[in-house]
Order: sequence, then structure tokens, then C-alpha cells
Amino acid sequence: MLSIYFGEKDNVMNGPAWFRFNYEAKWLSEGLVSRMIRDIDKSEYQGGELIMSDVLGPIPPERLSGGLQTLICIYNKPELMFNATSCGENCAKWLLEMGKDKDISINLRYFMPFENLEPFEIRILNEDKIVMNMDEYTRTAIKYV
Amino acid sequence: MKGSHHIAIESSRLKYEFDIKRNITIIQGDSATGKTTLIDLLNTYGRYGVESGIMLNSDVPCIVFSANPITWQDTLKTYNDSIIFFDEDYSFIFSKDFAETIRDSSNYYVLITRQPLYNLPYSIKEIYGIRTTGKYHFPEKIYHEFYPIYTDVGIYEIKDAVVLVEDTGSGFQFYQKICGADKCQSAGGNSKIVGKLENMPHDKHVTVIADGAAFGAYVASVLAISKRMSDVQLYFPESFEWIILKSGIIKVDNIDNILERPEDFIESRAFFSWERFFEDILVKATIDDPIRRYSKSKLSSFYYEGKNKDSILSIMPKGVFDKII
Repeated sequence: MLSIYFGEKDNVMNGPAWFRFNYEAKWLSEGLVSRMIRDIDKSEYQGGELIMSDVLGPIPPERLSGGLQTLICIYNKPELMFNATSCGENCAKWLLEMGKDKDISINLRYFMPFENLEPFEIRILNEDKIVMNMDEYTRTAIKYV
Repeated sequence: MKGSHHIAIESSRLKYEFDIKRNITIIQGDSATGKTTLIDLLNTYGRYGVESGIMLNSDVPCIVFSANPITWQDTLKTYNDSIIFFDEDYSFIFSKDFAETIRDSSNYYVLITRQPLYNLPYSIKEIYGIRTTGKYHFPEKIYHEFYPIYTDVGIYEIKDAVVLVEDTGSGFQFYQKICGADKCQSAGGNSKIVGKLENMPHDKHVTVIADGAAFGAYVASVLAISKRMSDVQLYFPESFEWIILKSGIIKVDNIDNILERPEDFIESRAFFSWERFFEDILVKATIDDPIRRYSKSKLSSFYYEGKNKDSILSIMPKGVFDKII
């Protein structure tokens, strides 16, 4: 399940900075990661550490977007909490998708809408409660961001 | 610094073109739209100049902040009349110290962040996303432009409404006079609007009025909660003083040009947000006239009576008060 802590928090990781010096090449070939690369960065994983970007041409993983780098970290290091504020609204559906596969916990410091993605289950760590629709989610989240 | 500044930066493969016209501009939006790439281009140009193969066209220096986060205050003080870009991840930009440091500065600041900056009075109109235009497939040249994220914030529908005003000052006093005390409430400050809005009776239609010039940090939360409620409309004019000036009831030299292009007249060092500028004009224009004298804390009856009231109301979009006056 996806768990979110809203607002400032200590001991959370900066996704892009962590990714740049700690990613493992094998992560890129995972099915869900490849799909996220395609959807968010409009790029195709080519194998090894090569990605073909629609905009930038052939690029290494270090030049993926900060939001995508953070998503990849969240998925592959679920024991860590990452600051997903670097993830834009187009990352919301992938956070839910990852949460179906494993338990992940993130920190958010802005209101990320999960519009048109209901039904969902998100645990709000600030109140240790599970919200299942946008109304519950919004009324809880905006208290903290 | 004042004025609107057109910036174009390009390499053989990428081009960004945009205008910066206020002291504080926010860039946010979806992931992978090119925010970091813009910073990379500006940073590389700043380091190598034309030797980088990057071309920058701007009438003022464009600087990417990259100093030690511990000594940021000293670093910022060394810049004047420049546009300073901050990539996300500098936590000090959320602090009161940062607001105090840039308050009297001649620089403009472009901040990449999705996290609201509650200590800064930035406008809902200066929150931008980046989008690509035209063809966008490598190896063709990719063009990027800024687009305002909150352009659609305005009157959604015409409804019978309770009016929720951000503060208790002159604007609130005006709206209370024309709507009646029972239909107009003050939130008691920008930061309390969301809580107040959430607790409005569900059978009431609500119109929220706030000064757009300094509401940028709150607009996302207010929009989010308004979408969860059945009947909420939002009205974010530049400021109440802007409405008065626009109405023409106070004669000010060159006011049409000032309101048409405020950025050409507002010195960032003197006015942290545009609403302060409009207030300053109004106060100075009426200071010698006891009838018209404008005060933020107590509104003269000159403004809410007779034809003057009608002139002010005529500036507001149709629908704001149609059913409650």
C-alpha cells in the first residue's frame, strides 16, 4: 500500500540526489520501471544503461527527470522514505501502481491530486488512517501542506 | 529592478523562451517537462558563456544559484538587477530569513518548487509550468515555453453566495457593506481560508475573494478543497486597491498605462508584492482629501456609497454579487 507523510519531515531522502550516486542498472529493466520511463519521460529503455529520450536523444540514467528518478528509488528501496515532492502530478498514478505491488512510504510537501484514480487506498501517516477517495484524501492532506 | 524581461536561451537542440515580469516567479508542474534542463542550460552558460555553444538573450544577467546553502545570504547580497534561478531542493527558500533577504532586493527570483512558499507574497498569475511546442522529437530542435498554471482561476458560475474574504481590511469592509454583514465573513488571513471554507455549511454557496497578487502559496489548497465542495466560486483580483484604481473613481496620472503594464512601474526593491504598489498609489493620491483618503484599516464611506460603489462593482466579473446585493 502507498503510505504518505505530509509536510516537513527529517530523515527522508532526496530522490534525484540519491539516485545519481546509488542506482543499480538492473532496476531499469524492470517492467514497471520501463513503463514509467515511457509514460513520464517519453523515453525508451534500450538495455544496459542507455535510454533513448524523445527530447534529448540517447541519455544515461542520470539524465532522467528528477520525478522519475525519485519513483525508481521509491520502488526499489522501499525501506527508505523519499521526498516525493520532486514528483509532479503525472507521477500520482505510478505511486498507486507501485503501492499495489509493495508497501511504500513517501513524504509529500505539496498537494498531489490523485484525481480520476479512485478507488484507491492510501494510508496517511500523519493520522494513521486510510483514505479511499479524493474527498477523504483532500480534506486530510490539506491540513498538512 | 522593474519591467518585463524576455529571456531566450538555446543550444542547437533546445530552446526556452519566456518572460519574467515580477520579483517572484514560481515554476512547477508535471515531471519531465524540462525544468532541470533549463537550469542546466543557464548554469552551463553562466560558467562557460558563449564557449558553451549556448546562446542567451536577456537584457539582464540570468544567474543560477549554486552557492553553499550555509552562506546563501552573503551570496545573494552580491547580486543586483539580475534574475536569479533556484532549482528545487534548497530548503532555505521556505524560511522567513529568505523572505527578509529578498524583500528589499533589486533582483527578480525564479523558484522551481511545488512546495508552497508561505513566507513569500507571490501572485497566482506568476505560477508557471513548462511545455514543449511544435515538434518534439530528437534530433529536431525542441522548443519550450512557460504557461500560467492558474489562468482559469476566476468565476466559475453565477450563484447565490456567502462571501468569504481573506482579511478584515478595507476590501472586507467594502464587501460587507454591499452584501450585508450576515453574508460576508472574514477568514482572518490567507492561511485560514482553507479551514474556514471547509467548515462552511453545506447548503450555502460560497464566494471566496482574495488578493491574487499575494495568494500564490495558498491557491492550490483552496482550489483542491473547492473542488470537493458543491458550490464554491473563486475571485482573485490583483488586489482591492487595484479594483478601485481600475474603476476610475480616483484620478491618478497615467493610471491606464500603469494598470496595463504594472511591471514597467513597480520597482522590486520598493514593493515586495504588487498589492503594496497599488495601495501606495491610492494612499498618495488621496492623502490630502479627507473625504477620499484611503486607508487599508478603515474604509471611507466615499468608496461604498452611490455611484462610486457602482463604479467599483462594475470592475468585478459579472456574477460575483449578482444574487446577493
